[in-house]
This record gives sequence, C-alpha cells and structure tokens, in this order.
Amino acid sequence: MSERLAPPPGDPILGIETSCDETAAAVVAGGTHVLSSVVSSQVDLHARHGGVVPEIASRAHTELLLPVVAEATIEAGIEDSEITAVAATIGPGLAGALLVGVASAKALALAWDVPFIGINHLEAHLYAAFLEEPDLEPPLAVLLVSGGHTMLVAFEGHGQYRVLGGTIDDAAGEAFDKVARHLGLGYPGGPVIDRLAMNGDREAIDFPRPMRNEGYDFSFSGLKTSVINHTRKHPDSSPEDIAASFQEAVVDVLVHKARKAARDIGASGLCLAGGVAANSSLRERVLDACIEDGLRAFVPSRSMCTDNAAMVASTAYYRLKSDGPTPLDAPARPNLGL
Amino acid sequence: MIVLGIETSTAQVACALGGAEGVMAAFESGPGVPLPGRNRATPRHAELLAPAIEFICQQARVDLKDVGVVAVDLGPGMFTGVRVGVATGKALAQALRIPMVGLGSLDLLAFPVRYADRTVAAVLDARRDEVYFALYRPVPAGVQRVGETRVCSPDELYAELLAHGEDVLAVGDGAVRYRETLRRLDGVEIDVVHPFPSAASLVTLAHARAVREEFVQPWEINPVYLRPAVGERAAS
Ligand SMILES: [Zn+2]
Repeated sequence: MSERLAPPPGDPILGIETSCDETAAAVVAGGTHVLSSVVSSQVDLHARHGGVVPEIASRAHTELLLPVVAEATIEAGIEDSEITAVAATIGPGLAGALLVGVASAKALALAWDVPFIGINHLEAHLYAAFLEEPDLEPPLAVLLVSGGHTMLVAFEGHGQYRVLGGTIDDAAGEAFDKVARHLGLGYPGGPVIDRLAMNGDREAIDFPRPMRNEGYDFSFSGLKTSVINHTRKHPDSSPEDIAASFQEAVVDVLVHKARKAARDIGASGLCLAGGVAANSSLRERVLDACIEDGLRAFVPSRSMCTDNAAMVASTAYYRLKSDGPTPLDAPARPNLGL
Repeated sequence: MIVLGIETSTAQVACALGGAEGVMAAFESGPGVPLPGRNRATPRHAELLAPAIEFICQQARVDLKDVGVVAVDLGPGMFTGVRVGVATGKALAQALRIPMVGLGSLDLLAFPVRYADRTVAAVLDARRDEVYFALYRPVPAGVQRVGETRVCSPDELYAELLAHGEDVLAVGDGAVRYRETLRRLDGVEIDVVHPFPSAASLVTLAHARAVREEFVQPWEINPVYLRPAVGERAAS
C-alpha cells in the first residue's frame, strides 16, 4: 500500500473510527483505493475488565487518535493539503468514544477547509466488502455480526438497505465473550474460542439452535445459558469440545438464516461483515453455502471485518456524492440505526 | 500572535480569539435548557464548538491559518466536555502545525476575581455530590494556587475552608450550588457573577505564556480528570 508506483487516484478522503475500542484512521481515494489503514487496538486496556469500559475507551481515543491520523497520512504518502474531505463515524457506538472522533474530524475539516462527513458505522461495515470487491452487484444479503450488532440486511443499492432481522438479546460477538468468560478463557472471546474449537469435536455436545427456523431474528442468550448449564453438569468435559460445539451452534443459526434471506430476496450474493466475520468456521461455512446455492460469496479479509477507518472513508466517498457534506453542528448519535 | 482559546469543561461552550491587544471575538453559550423529563441540560459541546470557532473567526476577520497558538482548558470538569475541547484543540493544532497551551479549569475560574482582597476558593460542580476545588492567593496581575487541586464532597470542602481560617471568596458553579453549606462559615463570600471558566481568561493567560514561548505540542496535551476511569459511569 505504501509502495505506490503510480500517483494515487483522485479524491483522497481521511476516515476516522472511534465508536468502540479501536482507534482508527485511514485514507481512501476514489472510494475503493485504500492508501492507508491504521488501527490501534485498545483491547489490552479493556482485557483485565472482561469487556469494553466506556470511560477507558474515551480516554484512550483522546490520546491515540491524532498520532494514528498522522500515521495514516504519512503511510498514504500524501500531503495534508491533498485530503479532500474528513469523515468520522457518528454512530451507533459509545457516546463518549464517538465524540472524540467526531470533534477531531470536524476540527481537521475546519482547519483544512474541506467537507466533514458523518458516517453510520453499520453502513460502513456493509461497505467494507466493496473495498475489496468493487464490482459487487446488488441485491445482496449481508450478515453483519460483531460484539455490538447482529443483523441480516438486504442491500439493494448504494444507500438502500432493508433490515430483515436482528438479535432480540445478545449480539453474536457478545455470546462469544460471555461463553469465553465463563470458561475462563479471557477477553475478547471470539478469537480464543475460534482457536480452541479447532482441536474440538463440534458434534460432541448438541447445544440448542435458538429460533433457527423462525424468521430472521436471532437470540443467543439461551444458548449461552445452556453452555453454562452443561459445564456445571459435566465439569470435566473438554473445553475444546465445548468451544467447538458452541461455535457450531452459533454458526449454524447464522448461516441458515443468511441463506434463507439470500433466497427470499433473490440476492446474487451473500456478504459477511463485522468482527465475528473473522471467525474461521463462519467464513468456511458461508463459502460452502454459497457454492451450494450458486451465490457469489463476499468474505472480506479479517482486517476489513473488524472495526477500521477505511470502511468509513469508503462510505464517505459515496455519501458525499449522494448527500453532500454533513453540517458542523451535527451531533454524535450513539443509538443510530441503519 | 493570535491565540484561539477553547473552553468546554463545564456545561457551557465557549471560545475566543485574542492577542496582545486583548480579546478580538468570543462566543459563549449558556449552560442550556434541560430537555423535558431531565433536570439537567444536555450539553452539546460537540455540536456547538466547531461552528462557534468558525463564527468567531468570521467576526474577527481572522483566517484559522493566521492563528499561532491553540489554548485549551484541560479540566478537571465534565469528562466529555473537556474531551471535546481537548480533541478539537489538538486536531486544529496538528492540522495547522502550531503549538498549544493547556491550562487548568480552576486556574481559569479564579483568574477573573484576582483583585479580591482575600483567598479565592475556585469550586466547580463535579456532580455526584462532589466538587473540584483549589485555593488561590491573589498576587500582582493574577492568582497563585496554594496546594493541590482536589475532588471532594461539599462537607470536606467546608472542613478545608474552616481549617484554612481566613476570609474566602468562593467562585464557580460548585460554590453557587453548595452556597448553603459554605455560608455556614464566617467570612465566606460567594461570587455569583463568574460561575464558569471563561474563554477570555483562557486567551489572556495563554497569550502571556505563548509570548514566553511556554507552549507544548499537540501530542503532549491530555485532559486532567482527577477521577479514575474504572467505576465511572459512561459519559458524564
Ligand atoms: Zn463495528
């Protein structure tokens, strides 16, 4: 990315992402050319608290963001004066954390005299797939799964979405975190369970598949409870088997519903987004399902699945074209939906 | 040298431009009106601040590129308010490639009453039945802090002032809020004219420092919280 031979394509946009516990900045030109993408994870700061502590996140963003922005422009190999717009996630997310990114982005836009663009974090996750596959053709079924969100979305065109379903309790990533905590595996839960599951038997324990055959909504809280009950009843069952069987139950429900959605909306492809999309079993099963169903699979690289600012800058390119700049008095919106 | 001052450590949002000749333009919002069903106004620092900076630049006919120093109130104060101000100031300074001056909220609160003939207690409402406070002694052309900046209950503040034993002028929204407690002391006067740190004080004090080249780089500036992050509820 940093060793470019040709000059960058036009309109480099600086993107900023601070909605949760990643402090990120990126420069993307023309909507799809990632010139740089810097992510500073705070995961170590939160790990000993077993989850994201909002005030710790806000404080860390305040310290980390500007060095991350400087790194992103240097890595992109461009001068500040070449940046044509500054975008930041305005929601959904942690209120205090969002404000650091929004205030900083507005100030940079003001100082450089370029437009500010406020971006919906969920929409940005959907655009992550575009960054790697610019020829992606709607309609698509998108499964957006992370620590904060679990959604099935019909992507019908730039800026056109229909939310088909969501979780009625825990987000998928939250279920991973809670089960990992219960098994004493630490935080964050997703990567640890993924790793452990590789050496386990995913059919060892028949955990329930909540709401598998009912509509597009999800529920993971009952599944978490049955994992807890199982370990109480069988204290010596292998953590590898529990991890593999639990992961299997989650992935089975997710993939089953995503396929059904793709079929129902007549989608040409199935797209994965969000931090849980980094899960190796989910990726594998989505690829298999797409081959079976004759769908195109869009499985972004792991670094594009988790929170990053390239997806923010990419979305901003299209939003600036369709809606123009966001006013400087726009608020952060912690509860923003899609 | 033109100084841009950003003051957002309380419920009010303020900014000012100034230089050797004094303040050139200033913006100051009120603390706001509470939304229905809430007994406190919801501060809108991140919504008001950037347009306010744009506004004072237009009023003073100053291009941001002509600003030489960005000054910010580092707190203590409302966590999110301070952060919005510090994040905005740092981003402006980094983008404009200029240095910064950071000052404490209580130093700024005490400065306008520097002509008092007694000790000044700067007291900001820290919510959850606590205050941020520090004591100041008036000196020629300013105030000098005596002792530490602390967060404590109004009763502890009362005890501290009682032990201090001298006449005190208490200033700040914390002094106003807990005036009944403080008035139980003899020799305590409450200033109700300057409840919040002012952007004009910030610009004046920062300009004096900038002239002496006592500035820092944007990456060296961080908020002063006085309270740990863990155990805090989300965004104040
Ligand atoms: Zn996310």
